[in-house]
Amino acid sequence: MAQCVQSVQEFIQDSFVPMVAVLCSEDAEKVTRKNNLNFSELLRPFCRLTSEGHMRDPSNQLQVVKNLRISVNNVVTRPSVPSSGVPGHAHRRLLSEVVLTCQPAEGGVANVITAGDYDLNISATTPWFEAYRESFLQSMPASDHEFLNHYLACLLVVSSSEAVPVEKFLKLSQEQHRIQHSGEYTNPKWFIPNTLKYYVLLHDMSQGDEQRADSVYEDMKQRYGAQGCYLLKVNSRTAAAGADEQIPDPWSQYLHKSSLQSQVQLGLAPSYGVLVNSLDNTHPLQLDTPSDTPGSLDALRAVAVETKPPPLTTGVAAATSHGACLTLNDHDRIRLFIQEFTFRGLLPHIEKNIRQLNDQLVSRKGLSRSLFSATKKWFGGGKVPEKSIAELKNTSGLLYPPEAPELQIRKMADLCFLVQLYDLAYSCYHTAKKDFLSDQAMLYAAGALEMAAVSAFLQVGAPRPYPAHYMDTAIQTYRDVSKNMVLAERCALLSAEVLKSQAKYSDAATLLIKMTSEDSDLRSALLLEQAAHCFINMRNPMVRKFAFHMILAGHRFSKAGQKRHALRCYCQAMQVYKGKGWSLAEDHINFTIGRQSFTLRQPENAVTAFRHILTNDSQQTSTQQGAFLREYLYVYKNVTGACEVALPQLPLPCINSSATRVYFGHERRLAEGEKQAATHVSLDQEFDRDLAAMWQDLEEQVVAAAKRGVVPATFQSTQCCLNSQTDNLRFPLAVVEEPIIVEVVFRNPLKVPLVLSDLSLLWKFTLKDFNRPQTQEDSVGDAVPISNEKEASVPRVRKDDVIATEVISEFYLSPEETKLARLKLLPHQTGQLNILGLVYNLASTSSTGDTTINSPSAAEGTSVRGRQDLEIQGPRLNQTKEEKTSVSHGPDRRLDPTITPPMPLLEVFFLQFPTALLCGEIRKAYVEFCNMSRVTLCGLRVASTHPDFFTFGSSSLATPLTPLSPTSFENCSAYKTLATPPGATPGSVAAVTLVSEGDFGSGTGLRGGVSGAGTGGKGITEIPLGEGTLKPGESTQLPMWLRGPDQEGVHEIHFLFYYESAEKGGKISHRVLRHTVFICASRSLSVRATACRSNTLPEEEEEERNGSMLVFVDVENINSSEAGVREFHIAQVSSSSKQWRLHKCINPAEDKDCKLTSRERGKLCFRATRCKPLQAFPFSKSGVSSLQIITSTTPCADFFFRRCQPLESLRPPVAMETQGRHSRSQGVGHGGGDKDIAGVVRKCNEVDLDIIILWKAFVVEDNKQVILEGQLHVALQTIDKEACSLTPKEEAQEMVLLKFKPELPPPMTRPSMEQLSHLIKTNLQYPESYSHPFNQKSLCMVPVTLTLSNCSLAQVDVIIDLRHKTTSPESLEVHGSFTWLGQTQFKMQLGAQEVMRVQLRACFLHAGVYNLGTPRVFAKLADQGAMCETSQQTATPALIIIINST
Amino acid sequence: MLTRLKTQVPLFSMNSYTKLREKLKLSGLSLASTHSHVIRLGRHSRHNSKMAVCIAVIAKENYPLFIRSVPVQNELKFHYTVHTSLDVVEEKISAVGKAMADQRELYLGLLYPTEDYKVYGYVTNSKVKFVIVVDSSNTSLRDNEIRSMFRKLHNSFTDVMCNPFYNPGDTIQSKAFDSIVSAMMVQAS
Repeated sequence: MAQCVQSVQEFIQDSFVPMVAVLCSEDAEKVTRKNNLNFSELLRPFCRLTSEGHMRDPSNQLQVVKNLRISVNNVVTRPSVPSSGVPGHAHRRLLSEVVLTCQPAEGGVANVITAGDYDLNISATTPWFEAYRESFLQSMPASDHEFLNHYLACLLVVSSSEAVPVEKFLKLSQEQHRIQHSGEYTNPKWFIPNTLKYYVLLHDMSQGDEQRADSVYEDMKQRYGAQGCYLLKVNSRTAAAGADEQIPDPWSQYLHKSSLQSQVQLGLAPSYGVLVNSLDNTHPLQLDTPSDTPGSLDALRAVAVETKPPPLTTGVAAATSHGACLTLNDHDRIRLFIQEFTFRGLLPHIEKNIRQLNDQLVSRKGLSRSLFSATKKWFGGGKVPEKSIAELKNTSGLLYPPEAPELQIRKMADLCFLVQLYDLAYSCYHTAKKDFLSDQAMLYAAGALEMAAVSAFLQVGAPRPYPAHYMDTAIQTYRDVSKNMVLAERCALLSAEVLKSQAKYSDAATLLIKMTSEDSDLRSALLLEQAAHCFINMRNPMVRKFAFHMILAGHRFSKAGQKRHALRCYCQAMQVYKGKGWSLAEDHINFTIGRQSFTLRQPENAVTAFRHILTNDSQQTSTQQGAFLREYLYVYKNVTGACEVALPQLPLPCINSSATRVYFGHERRLAEGEKQAATHVSLDQEFDRDLAAMWQDLEEQVVAAAKRGVVPATFQSTQCCLNSQTDNLRFPLAVVEEPIIVEVVFRNPLKVPLVLSDLSLLWKFTLKDFNRPQTQEDSVGDAVPISNEKEASVPRVRKDDVIATEVISEFYLSPEETKLARLKLLPHQTGQLNILGLVYNLASTSSTGDTTINSPSAAEGTSVRGRQDLEIQGPRLNQTKEEKTSVSHGPDRRLDPTITPPMPLLEVFFLQFPTALLCGEIRKAYVEFCNMSRVTLCGLRVASTHPDFFTFGSSSLATPLTPLSPTSFENCSAYKTLATPPGATPGSVAAVTLVSEGDFGSGTGLRGGVSGAGTGGKGITEIPLGEGTLKPGESTQLPMWLRGPDQEGVHEIHFLFYYESAEKGGKISHRVLRHTVFICASRSLSVRATACRSNTLPEEEEEERNGSMLVFVDVENINSSEAGVREFHIAQVSSSSKQWRLHKCINPAEDKDCKLTSRERGKLCFRATRCKPLQAFPFSKSGVSSLQIITSTTPCADFFFRRCQPLESLRPPVAMETQGRHSRSQGVGHGGGDKDIAGVVRKCNEVDLDIIILWKAFVVEDNKQVILEGQLHVALQTIDKEACSLTPKEEAQEMVLLKFKPELPPPMTRPSMEQLSHLIKTNLQYPESYSHPFNQKSLCMVPVTLTLSNCSLAQVDVIIDLRHKTTSPESLEVHGSFTWLGQTQFKMQLGAQEVMRVQLRACFLHAGVYNLGTPRVFAKLADQGAMCETSQQTATPALIIIINST
Repeated sequence: MLTRLKTQVPLFSMNSYTKLREKLKLSGLSLASTHSHVIRLGRHSRHNSKMAVCIAVIAKENYPLFIRSVPVQNELKFHYTVHTSLDVVEEKISAVGKAMADQRELYLGLLYPTEDYKVYGYVTNSKVKFVIVVDSSNTSLRDNEIRSMFRKLHNSFTDVMCNPFYNPGDTIQSKAFDSIVSAMMVQAS
C-alpha cells in the first residue's frame, strides 16, 4: 500500500466525525450566496478544530478531545445510496471522476526502489487512491445498524434581515422536528431523538442593521440560552470595495468535491458536461492536464467539450468569487463560531447523551439482559446450530427496533468513538458484538466487530493487540452475508491501512486482493494497485508480484475508463519485465502501453512501445505479429498525420547498414548475342581480398606505365564497388551522369510479410563546380545543401534536375527473409553528395484477415511513410595506443561520393571469344572499344595477368588490321601464309626473315618511344586505336589473337583496361575497366627437342664455318579427347635465334605432313647452323607443308616474343643475371671469363635456339570439321639437354630455393671433365682410301688435316700430342701400327670460335686399315693459371684404308 | 488465515464456518478468473488432466530457459504466473539460512495456489528453478508425484547441461528434454 499523506490515526478519525445538519432560511441562504457558497460550504474550511476540547466520560474522568473535526451538511431528504449496499450509478460516476482528475504530477518525485537486481522508479504516493478513499467514505450512506454518520445536531440559521427572526427560528425548528420524527423521510438519519438544535443568527455586515442584529441575539440568548445560539457576522466587505485585496480562498480545495457530491446526490446535474467542466476549472490539478487536446480523455470529456462555452464562463465566475465578500476578520469569526458551537453546544450534548445511555445500560445490564441471555442459554442453547441456518438466510432482513437495547449499546459506542473515548467505545462495541452474534444479527455483528477492531487499534498505549480477525470476519460478513459491498470495502480500506501501519504488508495485500471483484472495475483497480504497492514495500520486496498486480490493476483501470492510470500502471510494471527475457509478457505490456498511449494521444510513446514489439525477435505467432504490425502502422499513420515536418524513423525492416554496398557506374550489360561485354565489376560479385589486391597491383602497373614508370604518390586504385571490406577512408569519386547504385540489405524479423513501396534513397547534395578555380566565396556561396528529404515525404515528387532518384515501386519481403534492394541515383551536377538513408512506405500485407484493432480504418492496406537512416560505422581504429585501449571507429565515406565532371566511359565488347582452347592454339577474336560518354578518351592500355594469352598484333608491319569480316573468319587461318614455289621440295626450304623484337611491342618495348625500362610494364600493352583517341560515341573494332595457355586446365585471365580523359586535370586521373575470362585449356601436343652437336665439318660457306647442330624434335599427341580432335598435323617448324638458324628437315619419311593421331608420336630432325650474331631475331622457317607460314608476322611472332617474358619475369634477379651473362649478350665475349670457367665452359655448350612448332588440328565439331591452328615453343638452351614445350614444374621450386639464400654466390663448381672436354672440337680430314705402291716405295705418307675448332668464346690453349700410341694389343692386331711424321706435339692457342687446321702426315708401312684417331688433344682455358687441361673427346675411329697399288 | 479464523473466532456454528471457509477458499486468490481477460484469453476448457499444464525452467538470473504449456493459447498467462512465482521461490530460498543452504531441500513444495492452478517449485543447487503448474482441479496428484516429476526434470536438465554443444544460458532446445517434458504434460484433449 502506498504511503499516505495522513497518518492512520488521522485517517480513521477523519473517517468518522460527528455530523451536523444545517437548516437555513431563505434570507440566510441569500446572505451566503453572495459568496457563491451555501451555509454549510461556508463553514467547511473551518470545520477542523485547532484547539483542544474537554469533556467528561461516564466515570467523570476529564478527557481531552484533540484535533476534532465536524462535518456540516445541508439536510438532504433524498436517499443518496440505495440501502441495498450497491452503490448507485451517480455515486460511481462521482468516484470515477475523483480518480480521473487526480493524476500524478508530471514531474512528480518518484523514488527508486532497489530490489535484487531491479531498480524501479515508482511514485511512493498514490493521491488518487486517497482522493477516492476520502470521497468514498464521505459519501457513505447512513445505515440503520450503525450511527456514526447520523446527524447529532442541527444548525438552524436565520438571517438578521428577517422581519421576525425568532419566528423563523421556530419554523425551522418545527421543520427539523418534522423531518426527524414524522416518519415521512427515511433520510437523513438522526442519532438521538432529541437532536441538538443550535440557533444561528446570520448577520450581513454590508446590509443589515448591526444593532438590530445584536438585539435579536440578546433576545435569542434569553430564549435558547447562551450556549444554544450564536450571532455570526459575515460579509464585512462590499464586493466593490476591495476587489484587489487578496484574500485566501480556503474553499476551492473543498468545493469541487462537495459540489460534485451534492450535485450527484441531489441528482441536480442537468448536463454532465457542465459538471465535468466546472470541475475542470476549479480543480487545482487542472493546470497540469493539457486542456488544449480536444477529445483527449474519453467520451465524457468529449461531451464536456461540446458543451463547453457557456458553462465555462459561469464556472470560472463561480470559481473566482468564493468568499468574495468575506474579510479575514470574517474568516476568524466563522472559525470562532465553529469552536463555540462544538465546545459549548455539541460536546456537552454528546457528553450528556453518553451519560444517559450509560445509565440506561448499567441499570438494565443487571437483570434483564443477563437474565435474557441466561434463559436463552439454558433453554435454547442446544438448538442454536440448527436454528442458525434458517436464521442466517434472513439475517440481513433482521432489524432491531430503533429503541432496542442492543442498539443502545451500539449508539453509546458510536458516541464514544466520535469523541475519541476509544477505551469505552471498545468495550461497548465488544459487548454489542456479543449480543448481536448471539442474536445471529450478522450485519449488526459485523459493524460492531469492525468498530471494535478500529477502536482497539486507536486506544492510546495499545492495551490489547489489534484484532485483525475481527476485521476479516466483518468483511466476510458484509460481503457474503449482507451482500453490502460498500461496507465491506470501507472495512477493507480501514483494515488495510491499519495493517500497513503495522507493516503487515502481506496480510494487507491479501485483504485488498480479496476485495477485488467483477462488480467494480475502479475499485478493483485501485485495490490491486495498493496491493502491488504492498508487495513492493515488504521487507523482502516482491518485485514480480508487484509487477503482476500492477498489470492487473492497469487492466482494471483501463476497463474502468481510467486510461491514464492504466498506462501508468503498465509503465511501472514494464520496468520489471523489461529486458529480462520474458518476451511474451514484455510484448503484451508493450502492446498495451502502445494502445493506451495512443488513445491518450501520446502517439510518440505509442510508437516507441509498438516499435519494441516489432524489433525484438519476438516469439509471437505470425497472426499476433501481423496484428501488432497493423496496429503499429495505424498508430504511426495517425502520428505522421499530425505532424508533417520530418519523416519519422521506421523500425522495420531491419537494415544491415554495414553490409551496404555502393557501386559507381552503369549496371553491366550482359552479353548480347555474339557480343560479350567486359565483365568489369558488378554488385553480383562477391568481394575477394586477393582478387582486389591483384587488380590493384595491375592498376598500379598500368598507371606506372602510363606515367612513364612512376606511380604518383597520390595514386589510389579505382574502387567501383565499395563494401565493408574496401578502404572507405576517402571520399569516393563518382562521375556526373553516371549512376550510383546503393545496395541495401533488408531483413524482415517478423513472421509476416512486409511490403515496402516507393522505396528510394534520401540524399543531401552540395553543388560545387570543379572546373572553376575554387575561391573562398565560391565554396561559401555554393555550400547550400540541397536535399530531397522534404520531397521524399510525398512520393514521386523529386528534384530530378539535380539528382535523379530511382524509386522502387514495390519491394516485398517474405517472413524472416533477408533481401537486397538496389537503389539508383543519377547525379546531373557536380558536387558533394551525401546519401542519408532510405524513405519508403511500409505496409503489411492483408494476408491474415483478423484484425485486433478496434478502429475500422486500421484494416488492411494501411501504409505509412517513413525513413531509416543509413549509418555506417567505420572500421575500428587500431593504430595508436589510445586507439587500442579505447574503442573508436574511423570514418566510413562509402555513402558520401564526390560527383566529378564527366569522364570518358569505356565499354569493351568481345566477339567470338572462345571459352575453351587447346594448349597453344591460336584463335582470332575481335574486341570492340566503345566510348559511351561525351568526353574523348585516350591513352588506352591494357594490363593482364597473362600477357602471353593475347595480342593485338603489331602495327609496324603492314598487317591489315581491319578484318575482312568477323563472320567469314572461320575458314580463314589466323596465320599469313605464302605459297612455296612449286618446284621446291617441301621441307627443304628455309626462308629467313629478320624481325626486331621491338616491332611486336612485347612488353618492354613500348611504342611511345620509351625503351623497355622494365619498370613494371611487363604485362602492359598499349592498344592501337586509330588516332590514339576515341571520340565520344565512337567505337572501334580490333582483331585480337588469343593463344591457349601452355598449361592445361582452367585459367582465370584478368584484363585491366586503362584509359584517360583527353582533357587533363580532372579530379579523376584515369579510369579502368576490368574483365575476367575463364579459358579452359586442353592438352594438344607435347614437343620435346634436343640439340646434338654434329661432327661433320662445316660447309664451305663462311658464315657456317663454325659448326652445326642437329635438332631433334619429338612431337607427341597428348590430347586425351579422342572424340573432338582427330589428328594433329605439324604444319611447320620455325626457329628463332640470334646465332642459329634451322636448315632443312631431315625427315626420313616421305610424307609431306607429319600427322599424329591420338597418342601417336613423331620425330623430326633438323640441321641447324650457326650464323653471324644478329641484333634482330631472324626467323628461319623449315616448313613441313607446302604452304609457308610467315612466322615473322603478327600472331605468331607476337606470341613468340610474349612467351619469353613470363619466363624471365618469373626468375628472381640472381637467376636473371646469370642467364643474362651467357645469353644474347654477344659482345661481352671473354671479358669476364677468367672468373668463371664454368660459365665460359657452359657457354660453349649453349645453344640459344627457340623452336616454334606450328600445327593444325582437325577437330570435329557438330559434325563439321574444323581446323584449328596453334603454335608451341621450345627453347633449346644447352646441347644434349632435352627441352620441352611444357614448362617444367620444378622451376617454381628453384625460385624458392634461390629466394631463401640470396647471399649465396652462384655455385663456383669446377667444370667437370666432361664439360671441359667439349671445349675443342676436332676433326680429321683425310682421304678415305689411299693407294700406295708399297713395292715401289715402302713408306706411304698420307697428309692428314686436323681441324680444331674452338667451341667456346674464350681463348683456349691446346696441346696436340701425336706420340700417343694405342697400347692395347687388340687394336694393334686389328689396325696395325703407323706413325706420325714430323712434329708430333703442337702447342697453340685458339681464339674464340677460331678454327685452325694443322697439317699432319701419317706414315704407313703396310697396306691395311688404320685408325687415324690417335691424336690426343688437350685443352685448357688460356688465362687459367693452373693447368687443368683435359683430354678432349676422342674422335670416333677414323679409319683409313691403305691399298697397295700394284 | 484459516487456522487463525478457526482458533480465534469461534463465532459461527460449524456449518456457517465451513461455508465461509469454502467461500474464502474460492475467493482466496480469485485473480485468475477475474483477470484472465487481461491476457485476452478465456478460461480454457477443463480437461481430464492428470499431469502438469505448464513446465518452466528458469535460469539463475531469472529469465526463462524453457517454458512449455498446454493449452498453447494460454501461454501468456502461464508466463505471468511463472514469473510471479519467482518471488515466492526467492522468498523460500532466502528463508533458509545461509549456513543451511547446502542442506536445503531442492523441492520447495507448493508455491502458491491460484484459483485454477497450483504452482510448485524446485530449485537446483545452481539456482536454476523449475516450476510446474498443475490444474487445481487435479486432485489425483500427490506431493510425492510432483516431487518425482521434478526429479525427472532435473535429471533431464542435467543431461542437457552435460551436452558439450549446449551453451549454458541459452534456451533449451534439446529434443530429449522436450520429450521428457511432453510426457509430463497433458495433451490438450
